[in-house]
Amino acid sequence: MPSSISTVIDALPYLMSGFFNTAAIVLAAMFFGLLLGVNIAVGLVYGNRILRFFLGLYVWFFRGVPVLVLLFLFYFGLFPYLNLPFNALVSVSLVLGMTTGAYQANIFKGAILALPHGQFNAASALGMSHFQTIRTIILPQALRLSVPAWSNEYSIILKDSALAFVIGAPEIMARTQFVASRTYQHLPLYIVAGLLYFLLTWLGVAALRYFEQRVQIPGYSHHGLQ
Amino acid sequence: MIRICFLLLSIVLFTTNQASAADKLLNGIDANFPPFAFIDKTGQPSGFDVEAMNWIAEDMGVEVSHQPIEWDGIITSLLTKKIDIIASGMSITAQRAKQVNFTLPYWIIKNVFVVKKDSPLTVDTLLKGKKVIGVQQGTSEAKWLKEQITAQHFNYELKYYNSSPLAVEDLLNGRIDAAAMNDAPAMDAAGKKAVQVLGSIGMPQEDFGYAVRKEDSELLDRVNTSLKKLMASPHWEVLKNKYELNK
Repeated sequence: MPSSISTVIDALPYLMSGFFNTAAIVLAAMFFGLLLGVNIAVGLVYGNRILRFFLGLYVWFFRGVPVLVLLFLFYFGLFPYLNLPFNALVSVSLVLGMTTGAYQANIFKGAILALPHGQFNAASALGMSHFQTIRTIILPQALRLSVPAWSNEYSIILKDSALAFVIGAPEIMARTQFVASRTYQHLPLYIVAGLLYFLLTWLGVAALRYFEQRVQIPGYSHHGLQ
Repeated sequence: MIRICFLLLSIVLFTTNQASAADKLLNGIDANFPPFAFIDKTGQPSGFDVEAMNWIAEDMGVEVSHQPIEWDGIITSLLTKKIDIIASGMSITAQRAKQVNFTLPYWIIKNVFVVKKDSPLTVDTLLKGKKVIGVQQGTSEAKWLKEQITAQHFNYELKYYNSSPLAVEDLLNGRIDAAAMNDAPAMDAAGKKAVQVLGSIGMPQEDFGYAVRKEDSELLDRVNTSLKKLMASPHWEVLKNKYELNK
């Protein structure tokens, strides 16, 4: 056992930089997915029939194709074809961002549809345009309602990011495997990898819960019998 | 919002690396292949091929960096210009030579079976005794073993792994009876785990060579010139001893 412990201690700095790379992938993907998701959701609810069709196609594609296949398609296929010289880290972030964007779109769409339509009438009675209403009345409420479901996406993307090792992105999983191949201490190292993912999940979920409480509107969204 | 977009764009532009500049080489390695290529204790790529490539690059007057890549996708990475060269224990095979150009051979490799220490198994029982053999996916030995099932009427079952160390791990777990791999990593495994090298799997010897894209014939010539120089220099022996390839 001592040799496995010393292996783990030796490998820790290397694994920790993988930890930060994984965190960077997830944060970039979540942010990119948020931008995509909000816009797609608005398009899906308020767009015309043609726009709705194409956005539906996007969501259908990214929800229907496994992330691993998407990674290969984009990293080896589309990005080189379009002359986009993205490295593995950037490619993974973009692919995961586009995937989570499709899922986030549905989360936001549900939240938008949950709002009473009368708010539109009220806003137009006040002289607000359609766009103004969406931006200043609908979205601020819908996004708040979405935070709990949205935080699920965080842990899903975090775990999907482990697939990045297949294209050589230097994240937790790839680095764990490299150290294991050199030292033949597979089990202790995978336990450490599991703990690192757990730590990232825990930190992220705690941060999102704090965020949820900070942005809630008193008396509108509420927690239980508070 | 615009500022954020610019920030993101600049991050993307600065972190991307297209390895096409003539004075910089990106070498793709299988970092799960000690002693030819692996990640050392400090987190840096290391190994026989990595150090040899460093020497060659210095001789050529170019900078080289080493990018770990999953073995199964390493030729695709070369062809899609993610990397410029593969100096990572790649066997020269006719099939691969259709896609890439190889340098001069620099190392002769045998493929061997690794079994648990004190295992009573023999090569013959492994080949004909309905055993389960683990092998790294995408390797020439995996292809050969698969072909021999029909060619020589062997009756083993093959299990595929991402790397040969993982096959060794599963050998110790008892899921497979033997792992097939190159002799140098097999010796490496035998030095670290309770396994032993049983003997040759019966496959003809192979040569390792570095692989470059078909169109990069100038690069191929320059690498060959420096590789020849390296193999004639005393440093070649130093490297072989350092990575215990002379055993």
